[in-house]
Amino acid sequence: MTGILYHGQPNGPSFTVLAAAFEKGVDLDLRAIDLVAGERHSTALPHPLEVDQSIEGEGPVLVVDGVAMTDSVFLACYLDELGSGPAIRPADPYARWQMMAWCRYVIERVAPAAAALGNAAAPPLGVPAGIASADLEGRWKNAVEGKADDSQLADSRTKIVQAVEKVEAQLADGRDWLMGDFTIADLESHAWLAGMRGIVPEAFASAPLTDAWGARLRARPAVARALGLATIAHPETIWAPGPEINRWG
Amino acid sequence: MTDVTLYHWEPNANSGKPMLALFEKGVAFDSHYLDLLNFDQHKPDYLAVNPLGTIPAMKHGDLVLTESTAIMEYVDEAFDGPRLMPADPVDQWRTRWWMKFMDQWLAPSFSMIGWSVFVGPSVRQKDPAELEAAIDRIPMPERRVAWRKAINGAFSPEEMAESQRRVGLGIGYLEEALGQRLWLASDSYGLADINGFNLAYAIPLSQPHLCNDELTPNIMRWLRAIYARPATRACWALGRTDLARRISLLESEPA
Repeated sequence: MTGILYHGQPNGPSFTVLAAAFEKGVDLDLRAIDLVAGERHSTALPHPLEVDQSIEGEGPVLVVDGVAMTDSVFLACYLDELGSGPAIRPADPYARWQMMAWCRYVIERVAPAAAALGNAAAPPLGVPAGIASADLEGRWKNAVEGKADDSQLADSRTKIVQAVEKVEAQLADGRDWLMGDFTIADLESHAWLAGMRGIVPEAFASAPLTDAWGARLRARPAVARALGLATIAHPETIWAPGPEINRWG
Repeated sequence: MTDVTLYHWEPNANSGKPMLALFEKGVAFDSHYLDLLNFDQHKPDYLAVNPLGTIPAMKHGDLVLTESTAIMEYVDEAFDGPRLMPADPVDQWRTRWWMKFMDQWLAPSFSMIGWSVFVGPSVRQKDPAELEAAIDRIPMPERRVAWRKAINGAFSPEEMAESQRRVGLGIGYLEEALGQRLWLASDSYGLADINGFNLAYAIPLSQPHLCNDELTPNIMRWLRAIYARPATRACWALGRTDLARRISLLESEPA
Protein backbone atom coordinates (compact mmCIF):
# COMPACT_ATOMS: atom_id res chain seq x y z
CA MET A 1 0.00 0.00 0.00
CA THR A 2 1.50 3.34 -1.05
CA GLY A 3 -0.19 6.47 0.15
CA ILE A 4 -0.93 9.30 -2.26
CA LEU A 5 0.09 12.77 -1.12
CA TYR A 6 -1.51 15.70 -2.91
CA HIS A 7 0.66 18.69 -2.07
CA GLY A 8 1.37 22.27 -3.09
CA GLN A 9 4.70 24.12 -3.33
CA PRO A 10 6.91 23.29 -0.31
CA ASN A 11 5.64 26.14 1.87
CA GLY A 12 3.26 26.19 4.81
CA PRO A 13 1.53 22.87 5.57
CA SER A 14 2.74 21.18 2.36
CA PHE A 15 6.31 21.82 3.50
CA THR A 16 5.73 20.19 6.88
CA VAL A 17 4.25 17.02 5.44
CA LEU A 18 6.74 16.57 2.59
CA ALA A 19 9.72 17.06 4.92
CA ALA A 20 8.20 14.75 7.57
CA ALA A 21 7.66 12.00 4.97
CA PHE A 22 11.29 12.27 3.83
CA GLU A 23 12.61 12.43 7.42
CA LYS A 24 10.73 9.23 8.20
CA GLY A 25 11.52 7.47 4.93
CA VAL A 26 7.85 6.90 4.10
CA ASP A 27 7.43 6.10 0.44
CA LEU A 28 4.53 8.12 -0.98
CA ASP A 29 3.13 8.69 -4.44
CA LEU A 30 3.70 12.46 -4.62
CA ARG A 31 1.20 14.39 -6.70
CA ALA A 32 1.84 18.10 -7.00
CA ILE A 33 -1.29 20.21 -7.31
CA ASP A 34 -1.72 23.97 -7.68
CA LEU A 35 -3.29 25.01 -4.39
CA VAL A 36 -3.46 28.67 -5.49
CA ALA A 37 -5.51 27.67 -8.53
CA GLY A 38 -7.87 25.76 -6.22
CA GLU A 39 -7.00 22.29 -7.52
CA ARG A 40 -7.55 20.86 -4.03
CA HIS A 41 -11.28 21.35 -4.68
CA SER A 42 -11.33 19.46 -7.97
CA THR A 43 -13.12 16.15 -8.37
CA ALA A 44 -9.73 14.44 -8.85
CA LEU A 45 -9.42 14.43 -5.03
CA PRO A 46 -11.69 12.66 -2.55
CA HIS A 47 -13.91 15.05 -0.57
CA PRO A 48 -14.90 13.60 2.79
CA LEU A 49 -15.63 15.95 5.69
CA GLU A 50 -12.02 15.85 6.85
CA VAL A 51 -10.82 17.28 3.53
CA ASP A 52 -13.57 19.82 2.96
CA GLN A 53 -13.72 21.13 6.53
CA SER A 54 -10.03 21.00 7.40
CA ILE A 55 -9.18 23.86 9.75
CA GLU A 56 -5.91 24.32 7.90
CA GLY A 57 -7.51 25.59 4.70
CA GLU A 58 -5.43 24.85 1.61
CA GLY A 59 -3.16 22.16 3.03
CA PRO A 60 -2.01 18.82 1.63
CA VAL A 61 -4.20 15.70 1.50
CA LEU A 62 -2.81 12.23 2.24
CA VAL A 63 -4.89 9.28 1.00
CA VAL A 64 -4.09 5.85 2.45
CA ASP A 65 -6.29 2.82 1.78
CA GLY A 66 -9.17 5.06 0.80
CA VAL A 67 -8.93 7.29 3.90
CA ALA A 68 -8.21 10.95 3.05
CA MET A 69 -6.34 12.72 5.85
CA THR A 70 -5.52 16.42 6.38
CA ASP A 71 -3.93 18.88 8.82
CA SER A 72 -0.16 18.93 8.63
CA VAL A 73 0.87 18.40 12.25
CA PHE A 74 -1.38 15.37 12.58
CA LEU A 75 -0.23 13.99 9.22
CA ALA A 76 3.34 14.35 10.50
CA CYS A 77 2.34 12.44 13.69
CA TYR A 78 0.85 9.73 11.47
CA LEU A 79 4.03 9.53 9.37
CA ASP A 80 6.06 9.34 12.57
CA GLU A 81 4.09 6.24 13.60
CA LEU A 82 4.43 4.72 10.16
CA GLY A 83 7.98 5.42 9.00
CA SER A 84 11.27 3.80 9.92
CA GLY A 85 13.37 6.97 10.17
CA PRO A 86 14.37 8.49 13.53
CA ALA A 87 11.46 9.70 15.66
CA ILE A 88 10.23 13.25 15.00
CA ARG A 89 8.33 13.41 18.30
CA PRO A 90 9.85 13.09 21.78
CA ALA A 91 9.17 9.80 23.56
CA ASP A 92 8.77 11.29 27.04
CA PRO A 93 5.14 12.31 27.73
CA TYR A 94 6.01 15.75 29.12
CA ALA A 95 8.39 16.54 26.26
CA ARG A 96 5.69 15.38 23.88
CA TRP A 97 3.17 17.67 25.59
CA GLN A 98 5.62 20.54 25.12
CA MET A 99 5.85 19.74 21.41
CA MET A 100 2.09 19.41 20.94
CA ALA A 101 1.43 22.63 22.89
CA TRP A 102 4.04 24.43 20.78
CA CYS A 103 2.47 23.13 17.57
CA ARG A 104 -0.95 24.18 18.83
CA TYR A 105 0.40 27.71 19.31
CA VAL A 106 1.74 27.72 15.75
CA ILE A 107 -1.48 26.29 14.33
CA GLU A 108 -3.77 28.67 16.23
CA ARG A 109 -1.80 31.93 16.35
CA VAL A 110 1.03 31.92 13.81
CA ALA A 111 -0.47 30.08 10.84
CA PRO A 112 -3.59 32.27 10.49
CA ALA A 113 -1.41 35.39 10.73
CA ALA A 114 1.10 34.12 8.15
CA ALA A 115 -1.64 33.02 5.76
CA ALA A 116 -3.41 36.39 6.03
CA LEU A 117 -0.19 38.31 5.37
CA GLY A 118 0.94 35.95 2.61
CA ASN A 119 -2.38 36.22 0.78
CA ALA A 120 -2.43 39.99 1.16
CA ALA A 121 1.06 40.20 -0.36
CA ALA A 122 0.29 37.83 -3.23
CA PRO A 123 -3.46 37.50 -3.73
CA PRO A 124 -4.79 34.49 -5.66
CA LEU A 125 -6.28 35.36 -9.05
CA GLY A 126 -9.73 33.90 -8.63
CA VAL A 127 -12.03 31.95 -6.33
CA PRO A 128 -12.05 28.31 -7.42
CA ALA A 129 -15.30 26.46 -8.04
CA GLY A 130 -16.45 23.71 -5.74
CA ILE A 131 -15.38 24.95 -2.31
CA ALA A 132 -17.61 23.09 0.14
CA SER A 133 -16.89 25.21 3.21
CA ALA A 134 -18.61 28.60 3.18
CA ASP A 135 -16.10 30.12 5.58
CA LEU A 136 -13.12 28.93 3.51
CA GLU A 137 -14.82 30.30 0.41
CA GLY A 138 -15.21 33.60 2.26
CA ARG A 139 -11.47 33.69 2.95
CA TRP A 140 -10.80 33.05 -0.74
CA LYS A 141 -13.12 35.90 -1.76
CA ASN A 142 -11.48 38.31 0.66
CA ALA A 143 -8.02 37.27 -0.53
CA VAL A 144 -8.86 37.65 -4.21
CA GLU A 145 -10.55 41.01 -3.68
CA GLY A 146 -7.74 42.23 -1.41
CA LYS A 147 -10.29 42.83 1.35
CA ALA A 148 -7.93 42.37 4.25
CA ASP A 149 -8.89 44.13 7.47
CA ASP A 150 -6.12 46.61 8.39
CA SER A 151 -6.37 45.90 12.09
CA GLN A 152 -6.14 42.15 11.46
CA LEU A 153 -3.09 42.63 9.25
CA ALA A 154 -1.43 44.82 11.90
CA ASP A 155 -2.23 42.21 14.54
CA SER A 156 -0.89 39.48 12.25
CA ARG A 157 2.43 41.33 11.94
CA THR A 158 2.58 41.50 15.73
CA LYS A 159 1.91 37.77 15.92
CA ILE A 160 4.85 37.07 13.58
CA VAL A 161 7.15 39.34 15.60
CA GLN A 162 6.08 37.51 18.77
CA ALA A 163 6.58 34.11 17.14
CA VAL A 164 10.17 34.92 16.17
CA GLU A 165 10.79 36.25 19.69
CA LYS A 166 9.46 32.95 21.03
CA VAL A 167 11.73 30.92 18.74
CA GLU A 168 14.69 33.12 19.68
CA ALA A 169 13.97 32.66 23.40
CA GLN A 170 13.56 28.92 23.00
CA LEU A 171 16.97 28.64 21.32
CA ALA A 172 18.70 30.92 23.86
CA ASP A 173 20.22 28.05 25.85
CA GLY A 174 22.25 27.02 22.82
CA ARG A 175 20.09 24.11 21.71
CA ASP A 176 20.00 23.18 18.03
CA TRP A 177 16.27 22.45 17.81
CA LEU A 178 13.18 23.91 19.46
CA MET A 179 12.43 20.87 21.63
CA GLY A 180 16.05 19.84 22.07
CA ASP A 181 15.91 16.98 19.60
CA PHE A 182 14.64 17.65 16.10
CA THR A 183 10.82 17.37 15.95
CA ILE A 184 7.68 18.26 14.06
CA ALA A 185 7.71 21.58 15.95
CA ASP A 186 10.78 22.64 13.95
CA LEU A 187 9.12 21.75 10.66
CA GLU A 188 5.78 23.38 11.47
CA SER A 189 7.39 26.58 12.79
CA HIS A 190 9.63 26.91 9.75
CA ALA A 191 6.72 26.09 7.45
CA TRP A 192 4.83 29.24 8.44
CA LEU A 193 7.73 31.58 9.28
CA ALA A 194 9.98 31.06 6.24
CA GLY A 195 7.80 33.22 4.00
CA MET A 196 7.52 35.97 6.61
CA ARG A 197 11.14 37.13 6.15
CA GLY A 198 10.15 39.06 3.06
CA ILE A 199 6.84 40.33 4.45
CA VAL A 200 7.69 41.13 8.09
CA PRO A 201 11.45 41.78 7.86
CA GLU A 202 11.48 43.64 11.18
CA ALA A 203 10.66 40.39 12.97
CA PHE A 204 13.97 38.93 11.82
CA ALA A 205 16.09 42.10 12.15
CA SER A 206 17.94 40.83 15.20
CA ALA A 207 17.22 37.13 15.45
CA PRO A 208 20.61 35.45 14.95
CA LEU A 209 19.57 32.22 16.69
CA THR A 210 16.49 31.93 14.48
CA ASP A 211 18.64 32.58 11.40
CA ALA A 212 21.08 29.83 12.37
CA TRP A 213 18.24 27.45 13.22
CA GLY A 214 16.62 28.03 9.82
CA ALA A 215 19.93 27.39 8.07
CA ARG A 216 20.45 24.17 10.08
CA LEU A 217 16.95 23.05 9.20
CA ARG A 218 17.35 23.69 5.49
CA ALA A 219 20.65 21.78 5.52
CA ARG A 220 18.93 18.56 6.60
CA PRO A 221 18.77 16.19 3.61
CA ALA A 222 15.04 15.53 4.04
CA VAL A 223 14.24 19.24 4.23
CA ALA A 224 16.46 20.01 1.23
CA ARG A 225 14.68 17.27 -0.69
CA ALA A 226 11.28 18.75 0.18
CA LEU A 227 12.38 22.23 -0.86
CA GLY A 228 13.87 20.71 -4.03
CA LEU A 229 10.34 19.79 -5.15
CA ALA A 230 9.58 23.48 -5.73
CA THR A 231 8.87 24.32 -9.34
CA ILE A 232 9.57 28.01 -8.81
CA ALA A 233 12.54 29.91 -7.36
CA HIS A 234 10.90 31.03 -4.11
CA PRO A 235 8.22 28.61 -2.89
CA GLU A 236 7.94 30.56 0.38
CA THR A 237 6.21 33.38 -1.53
CA ILE A 238 3.35 31.11 -2.63
CA TRP A 239 0.20 31.27 -0.48
CA ALA A 240 -3.38 30.08 -0.73
CA PRO A 241 -6.01 30.82 1.93
CA GLY A 242 -5.13 29.16 5.21
CA PRO A 243 -6.68 28.82 8.65
CA GLU A 244 -9.02 31.59 9.75
CA ILE A 245 -8.09 34.22 12.29
CA ASN A 246 -9.72 33.44 15.64
CA ARG A 247 -13.26 34.83 15.51
CA TRP A 248 -13.10 35.77 19.19
CA GLY A 249 -10.43 38.40 18.44
CA MET B 1 -1.66 11.39 48.56
CA THR B 2 -1.48 12.44 44.97
CA ASP B 3 1.04 14.47 43.02
CA VAL B 4 -1.56 15.68 40.52
CA THR B 5 -3.50 18.93 40.96
CA LEU B 6 -6.03 20.08 38.42
CA TYR B 7 -7.12 23.72 38.31
CA HIS B 8 -10.51 23.80 36.68
CA TRP B 9 -13.97 25.36 36.52
CA GLU B 10 -17.13 23.36 35.87
CA PRO B 11 -17.02 19.94 34.16
CA ASN B 12 -17.80 21.65 30.89
CA ALA B 13 -15.89 22.67 27.76
CA ASN B 14 -12.13 23.02 28.29
CA SER B 15 -12.10 22.36 32.03
CA GLY B 16 -14.05 19.14 31.66
CA LYS B 17 -11.67 17.60 29.12
CA PRO B 18 -8.73 16.80 31.43
CA MET B 19 -11.13 16.19 34.35
CA LEU B 20 -12.94 13.43 32.50
CA ALA B 21 -9.70 12.02 31.08
CA LEU B 22 -8.27 11.74 34.62
CA PHE B 23 -11.43 10.01 35.88
CA GLU B 24 -11.37 7.57 32.94
CA LYS B 25 -7.72 6.74 33.61
CA GLY B 26 -8.45 6.25 37.30
CA VAL B 27 -5.90 8.90 38.30
CA ALA B 28 -6.51 10.44 41.73
CA PHE B 29 -6.08 14.22 41.69
CA ASP B 30 -6.51 17.23 43.92
CA SER B 31 -9.36 19.26 42.51
CA HIS B 32 -8.76 23.01 42.67
CA TYR B 33 -12.01 24.68 41.62
CA LEU B 34 -11.72 28.16 40.13
CA ASP B 35 -14.89 30.23 39.83
CA LEU B 36 -14.70 31.61 36.30
CA LEU B 37 -17.61 33.95 37.01
CA ASN B 38 -15.69 35.41 39.95
CA PHE B 39 -12.53 35.82 37.80
CA ASP B 40 -10.55 33.47 40.08
CA GLN B 41 -8.44 32.54 37.06
CA HIS B 42 -6.96 36.04 36.86
CA LYS B 43 -6.02 36.34 40.54
CA PRO B 44 -2.38 36.25 41.69
CA ASP B 45 -2.62 32.78 43.26
CA TYR B 46 -3.57 31.22 39.96
CA LEU B 47 -1.38 33.45 37.77
CA ALA B 48 1.53 32.04 39.77
CA VAL B 49 0.55 28.63 38.36
CA ASN B 50 -0.42 29.74 34.84
CA PRO B 51 0.70 33.28 33.99
CA LEU B 52 -1.63 33.34 30.95
CA GLY B 53 -4.65 32.98 33.23
CA THR B 54 -6.34 30.36 31.06
CA ILE B 55 -8.22 27.41 32.56
CA PRO B 56 -7.53 24.52 32.96
CA ALA B 57 -3.98 23.88 34.14
CA MET B 58 -2.53 20.76 35.66
CA LYS B 59 0.39 20.23 38.00
CA HIS B 60 2.08 16.84 37.99
CA GLY B 61 4.84 16.93 40.56
CA ASP B 62 6.83 20.02 39.59
CA LEU B 63 5.54 20.06 36.03
CA VAL B 64 2.85 22.54 34.95
CA LEU B 65 0.75 21.83 31.87
CA THR B 66 -1.81 23.97 30.03
CA GLU B 67 -3.91 23.63 26.84
CA SER B 68 -6.74 21.21 27.61
CA THR B 69 -6.43 18.97 24.57
CA ALA B 70 -2.67 18.64 24.90
CA ILE B 71 -3.14 17.88 28.63
CA MET B 72 -5.50 15.04 27.72
CA GLU B 73 -2.86 13.45 25.49
CA TYR B 74 -0.35 13.79 28.34
CA VAL B 75 -2.74 12.22 30.86
CA ASP B 76 -3.22 9.27 28.52
CA GLU B 77 0.51 8.74 28.02
CA ALA B 78 1.86 9.50 31.49
CA PHE B 79 -0.45 7.35 33.60
CA ASP B 80 -1.53 3.73 33.76
CA GLY B 81 -5.13 2.87 33.07
CA PRO B 82 -7.19 2.20 29.96
CA ARG B 83 -5.68 3.60 26.77
CA LEU B 84 -7.70 6.58 25.52
CA MET B 85 -5.78 7.18 22.27
CA PRO B 86 -6.62 4.45 19.75
CA ALA B 87 -3.76 2.11 18.78
CA ASP B 88 -4.22 2.42 15.02
CA PRO B 89 -2.29 5.36 13.45
CA VAL B 90 -5.21 6.34 11.18
CA ASP B 91 -7.55 6.37 14.20
CA GLN B 92 -4.98 8.50 16.04
CA TRP B 93 -4.98 10.94 13.15
CA ARG B 94 -8.80 11.01 13.15
CA THR B 95 -8.86 11.58 16.91
CA ARG B 96 -6.60 14.62 16.57
CA TRP B 97 -8.49 15.91 13.51
CA TRP B 98 -11.79 15.89 15.40
CA MET B 99 -10.31 17.45 18.51
CA LYS B 100 -8.86 20.33 16.47
CA PHE B 101 -12.07 20.74 14.50
CA MET B 102 -14.05 20.97 17.73
CA ASP B 103 -11.49 23.13 19.58
CA GLN B 104 -11.07 25.68 16.81
CA TRP B 105 -14.25 25.68 14.76
CA LEU B 106 -17.23 24.23 16.59
CA ALA B 107 -16.53 24.98 20.27
CA PRO B 108 -15.86 28.72 19.74
CA SER B 109 -19.28 28.97 18.08
CA PHE B 110 -21.01 27.12 20.92
CA SER B 111 -19.19 29.20 23.48
CA MET B 112 -20.05 32.49 21.79
CA ILE B 113 -23.71 31.53 22.20
CA GLY B 114 -23.06 30.23 25.73
CA TRP B 115 -21.24 33.36 26.79
CA SER B 116 -23.96 35.60 25.46
CA VAL B 117 -26.76 33.71 27.24
CA PHE B 118 -24.98 32.50 30.40
CA VAL B 119 -21.57 33.98 31.22
CA GLY B 120 -22.34 37.56 30.20
CA PRO B 121 -25.65 37.86 32.11
CA SER B 122 -24.14 36.03 35.11
CA VAL B 123 -21.41 38.59 35.67
CA ARG B 124 -23.22 41.69 34.42
CA GLN B 125 -24.82 42.33 37.82
CA LYS B 126 -21.47 43.04 39.41
CA ASP B 127 -20.26 46.56 40.14
CA PRO B 128 -19.06 48.11 36.82
CA ALA B 129 -15.85 49.51 38.31
CA GLU B 130 -15.05 46.16 39.88
CA LEU B 131 -15.74 44.43 36.56
CA GLU B 132 -13.50 46.82 34.65
CA ALA B 133 -10.71 46.23 37.14
CA ALA B 134 -11.20 42.48 36.80
CA ILE B 135 -10.96 42.69 33.02
CA ASP B 136 -7.82 44.81 33.22
CA ARG B 137 -6.15 42.00 35.15
CA ILE B 138 -6.62 39.50 32.28
CA PRO B 139 -3.15 38.75 30.88
CA MET B 140 -4.08 37.87 27.27
CA PRO B 141 -5.40 40.72 25.09
CA GLU B 142 -7.62 38.28 23.16
CA ARG B 143 -9.34 37.24 26.36
CA ARG B 144 -9.86 40.87 27.43
CA VAL B 145 -11.69 41.52 24.15
CA ALA B 146 -13.81 38.40 24.59
CA TRP B 147 -14.77 39.25 28.18
CA ARG B 148 -15.71 42.83 27.29
CA LYS B 149 -17.92 41.56 24.48
CA ALA B 150 -19.58 38.96 26.71
CA ILE B 151 -20.21 41.39 29.54
CA ASN B 152 -21.50 44.14 27.29
CA GLY B 153 -23.58 41.77 25.19
CA ALA B 154 -21.61 43.13 22.23
CA PHE B 155 -21.45 40.13 19.94
CA SER B 156 -22.78 41.47 16.63
CA PRO B 157 -25.86 39.90 15.01
CA GLU B 158 -23.57 38.76 12.17
CA GLU B 159 -21.20 37.04 14.60
CA MET B 160 -24.07 35.34 16.40
CA ALA B 161 -25.66 34.24 13.10
CA GLU B 162 -22.35 32.79 11.93
CA SER B 163 -21.97 30.91 15.22
CA GLN B 164 -25.50 29.53 14.90
CA ARG B 165 -24.79 28.50 11.28
CA ARG B 166 -21.70 26.60 12.42
CA VAL B 167 -23.53 24.96 15.31
CA GLY B 168 -26.18 23.71 12.88
CA LEU B 169 -23.60 22.34 10.47
CA GLY B 170 -21.46 20.91 13.26
CA ILE B 171 -24.38 18.94 14.70
CA GLY B 172 -24.87 17.47 11.22
CA TYR B 173 -21.19 16.53 10.94
CA LEU B 174 -21.23 14.86 14.35
CA GLU B 175 -24.38 12.91 13.47
CA GLU B 176 -22.79 11.79 10.20
CA ALA B 177 -19.55 10.66 11.86
CA LEU B 178 -21.40 8.82 14.63
CA GLY B 179 -23.49 7.10 11.99
CA GLN B 180 -20.30 5.66 10.49
CA ARG B 181 -18.75 4.23 13.64
CA LEU B 182 -19.59 3.50 17.25
CA TRP B 183 -17.45 6.31 18.69
CA LEU B 184 -16.40 9.60 17.17
CA ALA B 185 -12.93 8.72 15.89
CA SER B 186 -12.64 4.94 16.17
CA ASP B 187 -14.42 1.81 17.37
CA SER B 188 -13.23 2.36 20.94
CA TYR B 189 -14.10 5.08 23.45
CA GLY B 190 -11.33 7.66 23.58
CA LEU B 191 -10.02 11.20 23.72
CA ALA B 192 -12.15 12.46 20.83
CA ASP B 193 -15.28 11.31 22.68
CA ILE B 194 -14.16 12.93 25.94
CA ASN B 195 -13.47 16.17 24.09
CA GLY B 196 -16.72 15.93 22.15
CA PHE B 197 -18.87 15.15 25.17
CA ASN B 198 -17.67 18.29 26.93
CA LEU B 199 -18.72 20.26 23.91
CA ALA B 200 -21.96 18.45 23.15
CA TYR B 201 -23.55 17.12 26.36
CA ALA B 202 -26.01 20.00 26.58
CA ILE B 203 -26.84 20.36 22.88
CA PRO B 204 -30.17 18.51 23.18
CA LEU B 205 -31.13 21.18 25.72
CA SER B 206 -29.64 24.26 24.06
CA GLN B 207 -30.48 23.33 20.45
CA PRO B 208 -33.56 21.08 20.84
CA HIS B 209 -34.81 21.88 17.34
CA LEU B 210 -31.53 20.58 15.83
CA CYS B 211 -30.56 17.78 18.18
CA ASN B 212 -33.09 15.22 19.42
CA ASP B 213 -33.94 11.52 19.23
CA GLU B 214 -35.72 11.91 15.93
CA LEU B 215 -33.25 14.09 14.02
CA THR B 216 -29.94 12.97 15.51
CA PRO B 217 -30.34 9.46 16.94
CA ASN B 218 -26.62 8.74 16.73
CA ILE B 219 -25.64 11.81 18.74
CA MET B 220 -28.24 10.91 21.35
CA ARG B 221 -27.03 7.29 21.51
CA TRP B 222 -23.44 8.53 21.90
CA LEU B 223 -24.24 11.11 24.60
CA ARG B 224 -26.28 8.61 26.64
CA ALA B 225 -23.52 5.98 26.35
CA ILE B 226 -20.94 8.43 27.68
CA TYR B 227 -23.26 9.64 30.42
CA ALA B 228 -23.71 6.01 31.56
CA ARG B 229 -19.98 5.64 32.28
CA PRO B 230 -19.04 5.78 35.98
CA ALA B 231 -16.20 8.19 35.22
CA THR B 232 -18.66 10.67 33.69
CA ARG B 233 -20.93 10.52 36.74
CA ALA B 234 -17.99 11.05 39.09
CA CYS B 235 -16.68 13.93 36.98
CA TRP B 236 -19.97 15.80 36.71
CA ALA B 237 -20.50 15.43 40.45
CA LEU B 238 -17.75 18.06 40.80
CA GLY B 239 -19.98 20.62 39.10
CA ARG B 240 -21.37 23.41 41.29
CA THR B 241 -23.67 25.36 38.95
CA ASP B 242 -26.69 24.85 36.74
CA LEU B 243 -24.31 24.58 33.81
CA ALA B 244 -23.12 21.13 34.88
CA ARG B 245 -26.64 20.08 36.01
CA ARG B 246 -27.82 20.28 32.41
CA ILE B 247 -26.34 16.79 32.04
CA SER B 248 -29.38 15.30 33.81
CA LEU B 249 -31.24 15.66 30.53
CA LEU B 250 -29.36 12.56 29.38
CA GLU B 251 -31.23 10.51 31.98
CA SER B 252 -34.22 10.58 29.64
CA GLU B 253 -35.09 7.42 27.73
CA PRO B 254 -34.76 7.42 23.92
CA ALA B 255 -38.02 8.64 22.38
